[in-house]
Amino acid sequence: MAAPLLKTVADGVQLCAVQTEQFKTCKLSLSMALPLSGDIAARAILPYLMRRACRKYPDFTSLNGRLDTLYGAVLGASVTKKGEAQMLHLSLSAVDDRFSLNGESVAEEAAELLLDLLFDPKLRDGTFCPEDVETEKRLLLERMRSEDDDKRVYARRRCEEVMCADEAFGRNRYGTAEQIESLTPQRIFAAWREVLETATIRAVLVSSGTADAVEKKLSARFGGIVRKPAPIHTQFIEKAGALKTERETQPLQQGTLVLGFRCGMQDKRDMDPAMTVMCDMFGGGTYSKLFTVVREQMSLCYYCGARLNRDKGVLFVAAGIETQNEEKAREAILAQLRDMQAGRFDRELFETSRRSLCDTIRSYTDSPDVLCSWYGIQIFDGAAKSTAVRIEEIQNTKFEDIQRAAQCITLDTVFMLAGMGEESDD
Amino acid sequence: MTETILQDEALGESYQVFDHPSGLRILVLHKPNYKSSYALFATKYGSIDTKIQQSDGTFRTIPEGTAHFLEHKLFESEDLDAFARFAATGASANAFTSFDMTGYLFSCADRFSENLEILLDFVQSPYFTPETVRKEQGIIGQEIRMYKDSADWQVAFNLLRALYHRHPVRIDIAGTEQTIAEISADLLYDCYRNFYNLNNMVLAVAGKATAQEVLAVADKVLKPAAGKAAVREFIPEPKAPFQKKIVEHMPVQVPSFAFGYKETIDTPERTDKEVACTDIILQSIAGRSAPLYKQLLDEGLINNGFGAQFFYGFGYADCEFSGESRDPEGTVARIREAVRETKKNGISAESFERARRRLYGRLVMEFNEVEDLASNLVDAHLHGGTLFDRIQVVRSLTIEDVHARLAHILDDECTALSIILPMDGKDL
Repeated sequence: MAAPLLKTVADGVQLCAVQTEQFKTCKLSLSMALPLSGDIAARAILPYLMRRACRKYPDFTSLNGRLDTLYGAVLGASVTKKGEAQMLHLSLSAVDDRFSLNGESVAEEAAELLLDLLFDPKLRDGTFCPEDVETEKRLLLERMRSEDDDKRVYARRRCEEVMCADEAFGRNRYGTAEQIESLTPQRIFAAWREVLETATIRAVLVSSGTADAVEKKLSARFGGIVRKPAPIHTQFIEKAGALKTERETQPLQQGTLVLGFRCGMQDKRDMDPAMTVMCDMFGGGTYSKLFTVVREQMSLCYYCGARLNRDKGVLFVAAGIETQNEEKAREAILAQLRDMQAGRFDRELFETSRRSLCDTIRSYTDSPDVLCSWYGIQIFDGAAKSTAVRIEEIQNTKFEDIQRAAQCITLDTVFMLAGMGEESDD
Repeated sequence: MTETILQDEALGESYQVFDHPSGLRILVLHKPNYKSSYALFATKYGSIDTKIQQSDGTFRTIPEGTAHFLEHKLFESEDLDAFARFAATGASANAFTSFDMTGYLFSCADRFSENLEILLDFVQSPYFTPETVRKEQGIIGQEIRMYKDSADWQVAFNLLRALYHRHPVRIDIAGTEQTIAEISADLLYDCYRNFYNLNNMVLAVAGKATAQEVLAVADKVLKPAAGKAAVREFIPEPKAPFQKKIVEHMPVQVPSFAFGYKETIDTPERTDKEVACTDIILQSIAGRSAPLYKQLLDEGLINNGFGAQFFYGFGYADCEFSGESRDPEGTVARIREAVRETKKNGISAESFERARRRLYGRLVMEFNEVEDLASNLVDAHLHGGTLFDRIQVVRSLTIEDVHARLAHILDDECTALSIILPMDGKDL
């Protein structure tokens, strides 16, 4: 696979293109970043409103009919959080021209459609249609509630909220329910203009053809827009203060314990990749301390894992446990961390982790979705680092740096979602 | 050893099929420009296999959840467990149990041969003791509880429990805390002997690895297996569902539903043509480009989680409509109406062609990733077909085929409904 092409098409807008005949599809994804402040809800609803219709395909049925005709092209819309940035995503994946049934071109049509959704939405009287807005408000509220119905997601989100109550990171990426309920077409229209004018944007294209056509289309679409990218800053709190604990009870069979830690990082590059390797040894793969001790040796849970968020310098450990085992599980998890901090781990675990991380990254180039997200998450770096370079960085991690990274970890928040379900029979 | 090459020219894909002297069928789809490989070693033994054949030919019932329990336990051995062995190579390994198979897998970029050797070796080396079985009951007990708290999971299984009278598709894949308490090391050995002989298994490899590499390891590690493919008994189900409705309360904010039409079948397996036609029918009725979808959205009855699927396997088949709704009963009434109308008026030529193109495109997309390829290879061959059958069927499918199928399915008399309501939601 050739190195990706990286081009600036407008101020703060980059196109990253990977040309390869490896896949049966072409995929174009757009990631748009803004600070996690201001009218969060109005921006959050945008990708979903755009997935619904555009000027050319003005209702849900006609737009989806168009996608079917483009051989079941997959249109993705989502909102995520990256550090203290709100990220809006739109993507379209379609079969490559080589595989259309009648020899027609699909790739260019698909790219055109995706850009239409973003730049040429369905408007009435100069703003979004009230009916569409009302439906999408309901859907966004239901999406939020439905996500919370997944207890693992809920517990993790609550831990983040409690831990970062005074930071932008503690905010919901969709805004609050009240903010969503109060949305108007005018506010959403203003948010749309804000995104086009001030978001930092990265388009990633993975296709068998050249990027020329997409580049031209993007330049033309941004041609009439005065760009003024908004600066995005994420606050890093290096050390936890007094321990925060929060407990909630629901009629559940299983309890969920989430521990939130500060990683001592000053920015996302700090202690990289030592912190990544340390977290993987602590609670990443099936060889990690959390898996081998807390799950396998102690049989305390089915899942127990650690996830590092380098964009914010925080780490979360989550485990599904018997509610009565809360203390035992918490102590067992912290004991594994103390082991890492005291250097009670061998070189073999370190080698295993590096090997496993590198093997996984090496496979990234075999998936268009993973490639799009790999280059998409580099949105703030102004670069397109290849997987090969990342592998080299991980291979160059030093054993001595692991313990030092572990020593920077401090426990900030404990969130327990306790169950009060039927008693266990054993 | 026999070797067959199967190919689809338009797709530009081919793969090799080997009947290895050990009794194992081996499938290799080599992708020269890929960096990783994915191997899936599967046995035709899933949660629906609740009986084993004894030496005198009679069948003995085994506890629910045994296949899944065995899957967990195979990772262990007398010395180093499989996860630890894969840790030394850097591969990502895992396993799963579904209704009709158990699969063991790894994906890796480097050291493929070493990984394949570990995979074939650990699956062929059972090691169960009373202590390790007891330990696993704790872990799986937590897994079972995790699923009990999942509304998505419960709404789907309650539908199966409502639709089917006796088919074991109605039991939980992991069993219950009570049934897994009955599992012993001896029982696991019995099940292992019955289902894990190579004649009942398939190995599929997709990606960078070549057939030569795969066979070199297979020749070294596989020993000719005694035994034969396990036999499944086809027990016809009554036409009507077991129960019309199941309602359960859970701590959720959004109610959800699953509504199913049971199909009357007189052979255990569905053909590729039946599957493709059903997909097109369901898309025409409840796909995102169908008028029903937009109407239900506009009326506030569904959200984007709504969808329809054909759910089928050995001895069971039903069409399911599921999603979240503030008014599950009202939504289902609308679905019934749309189904009746489609059965009466048929599917339009445009709607058929749209759905057919969509299905074709989605099948093409499944040739991108090594994981999909290996899974689809195993699936096709465990059911006596090939990887290309489905896409070839879709290329030549006609609206007449679809209408013939439509006449046979979606019987208004054979439905069941599963609903999950919030704790304080009133019973319907």
